[in-house]
Amino acid sequence: MSTSTPPSPSTLQPSPPPAPPPRRWLRWVQPLLLLGPSGLWLVVLLVLPTLLILDLSFLPGLRPGAAPPDYGLGNYLQLLNKTYRDVIGRSLGFALITTTACLILGFPVSYWIALKSPKRWRVLLLIAFVLPLWTSSLLRAYAWVSILRPTGVLNSLLSFVHLPTQDWLYTEVAVGIGLSYSFLPYMVLILYASLEKLDLRLLEASADLGATPLQTFWKVTVPQTLPGIAAGSLLVFITSLGDFVVPELLGGASSTTMSRLIYNQFLRVRNWGLGAALSMLLILAVSIAIALLMKYGDRNATKA
Amino acid sequence: MTVRNVSRCFVRLAPTRLPGCMPEGHSIPMKHHYPQRSLGRSPRVVSTSRRRFLQASAAALSGLALSNCRRGISDVQTGSTSNNGTASAQPGTLHIYTWADYTDEGLAQLFTERTGIEVVIDIYDSNEVMLAKMQAGGGDAYSIIYPSDYMVEEMIELGMLSELDHSKLQGLDTLFPQWQNPSYDPGNAHSIPMSWGTTGLLYNTTQLEIEPEDWSDLWDYQDLLFRRMTLLDDMREVIGASLRSLGYSYNSTNPDEIEAAYQLLVDLKPAIASFQSFGWEDQLLSGDLALVMAYSVDAIAATLEDPSLIYVVPKSGSSLWTDTMVIPKSAPNPEAAYAWMNLFYEPQVSADVVSRLFFATPIQPAFELLPEDLQTNDDLFPPDEILAKCEGIAPVGEAIELYDRLWTELASA
Repeated sequence: MSTSTPPSPSTLQPSPPPAPPPRRWLRWVQPLLLLGPSGLWLVVLLVLPTLLILDLSFLPGLRPGAAPPDYGLGNYLQLLNKTYRDVIGRSLGFALITTTACLILGFPVSYWIALKSPKRWRVLLLIAFVLPLWTSSLLRAYAWVSILRPTGVLNSLLSFVHLPTQDWLYTEVAVGIGLSYSFLPYMVLILYASLEKLDLRLLEASADLGATPLQTFWKVTVPQTLPGIAAGSLLVFITSLGDFVVPELLGGASSTTMSRLIYNQFLRVRNWGLGAALSMLLILAVSIAIALLMKYGDRNATKA
Repeated sequence: MTVRNVSRCFVRLAPTRLPGCMPEGHSIPMKHHYPQRSLGRSPRVVSTSRRRFLQASAAALSGLALSNCRRGISDVQTGSTSNNGTASAQPGTLHIYTWADYTDEGLAQLFTERTGIEVVIDIYDSNEVMLAKMQAGGGDAYSIIYPSDYMVEEMIELGMLSELDHSKLQGLDTLFPQWQNPSYDPGNAHSIPMSWGTTGLLYNTTQLEIEPEDWSDLWDYQDLLFRRMTLLDDMREVIGASLRSLGYSYNSTNPDEIEAAYQLLVDLKPAIASFQSFGWEDQLLSGDLALVMAYSVDAIAATLEDPSLIYVVPKSGSSLWTDTMVIPKSAPNPEAAYAWMNLFYEPQVSADVVSRLFFATPIQPAFELLPEDLQTNDDLFPPDEILAKCEGIAPVGEAIELYDRLWTELASA
């Protein structure tokens, strides 16, 4: 049958009888069946525990086994102490540095994979980048311990090429390296998705109109991938802000972050009230980042 | 050390008794009472704690030096084992919550052979972590716990420990006299001692010119030791050592003394690589670390492995601790717990375990069965003049909140 002629009515199948109007009970049973299990999961395992922590956070200095104190804001006021402000600041600092490092390291890689690499290699290259995520983050952190320790791989290499050795393990440098390494694959994946959709004709047009490659990059490429950059950055920021394993293993006696402090309060010194207040603060920070992610990062997905 | 850790990591296959088979208060039946378990039922794989899983995968996956996998992993897994623990508590299972170096495969297998009860072991790395988990209700599956002396006292005060029925226990009268009536638990009413030791300094002679003798050497030689020493991740031990170096008691409740000890630690902190109780062996041997503060149990195992490591109990005195076995009130299987305690108190069994794991035994007949080199090992059984200067850690009452606050500030600074 030629595509130019519309099919005559006679060749069409008789249209099926119209479906009976959905019964009224179906209207609420269907969503209940579909959303119920995950909803229950969320309520029982996420919402209720969070509310419990919220409750604990208003009991100043609550210790298990002791009589519960009266409700009050004591825990939150305590967070204003210099010690805790420093810890909160340090956590935010680590998250920001990690985000910046991942962006700087990740953008060229994604750009190359998405635009320059041979097409048949792309998936393979991406998989190679994501491969480390298949092992436990704990193992990867331990690998960095072996690399960064004073007699480790890095210093063996440095002394082999007659460069000064570095004592980075158990410092903030080690935490920065570990965090950036851990979250780089996420950044690369998201930036790749965004760069892959880049309209190459716009780049050509820009070049035709006399823009230098650098101008093209800043005025065409970056604005087009901005949602991807925002999404990747926020995702890395959120995950690195709450990360526990890397600061704990690579930070040593330095680099106490919020997550380490929370662990400390709940398990070591058993000040559950303060631990809960810190947890709420962390949840708040992450929620703000997620709200930003939904506002600025999602356009990319809806455009596709 | 490494090898021992990893060997403990593997999932144990053990027969499970069907739930409900054991009437309450029934004595532990022997193996042959339970033919059910061989009727085509494949042995159940005991769900292993995440730590052991990770350790096993670490061993399997990497040729890296992962000896310090004990530390840190425990920090991550604390939440997950509680699920594992509470979910699978059954009458035919004995769940044990203990320090890393107190049980091994051999002991657990022997127990299963004798009683048909499978043993599941979870590990903690500080008394405080154990208490927090028990208080959060995550430890309801455990029938045996191994708290240290001061923690026994605290748990008794909190009403968490059941009183022991001495008629069900054997060998209590064979304890050395000083453990017959310990101050932390008069008459061993709630706990039975299973190990004792000191806390001290372990250093690598190939890395250090000096021979540290006392706590004050940490401060005096901090340039030499800069970022090459670790302290225990144990609040009472570390603040206590600092108190001691000032000439105060480990159990000081005087805020001025505690503050002074804290200030000393703040001065020392830049020189400390990390606070870690376990998992320093590899870094100490390779020279990344020169000195660690360690419990004698772990230190002695290390010195026996490598003679270039020296363990010293600081001259001005250190903490003398006793670790015990207790049955929490929530224990689902107290009968099995008594059986475990009695097995451990058999002199030959205890002597064998000590020869493998190197902790000092408070049981006299077990001591007498030890090989001579262990009996005369001064690190393991220090002479009386050293012990005389040591002090047991005891609860400090209300002052604990000051300790807690300063410890947090020390860690956060």
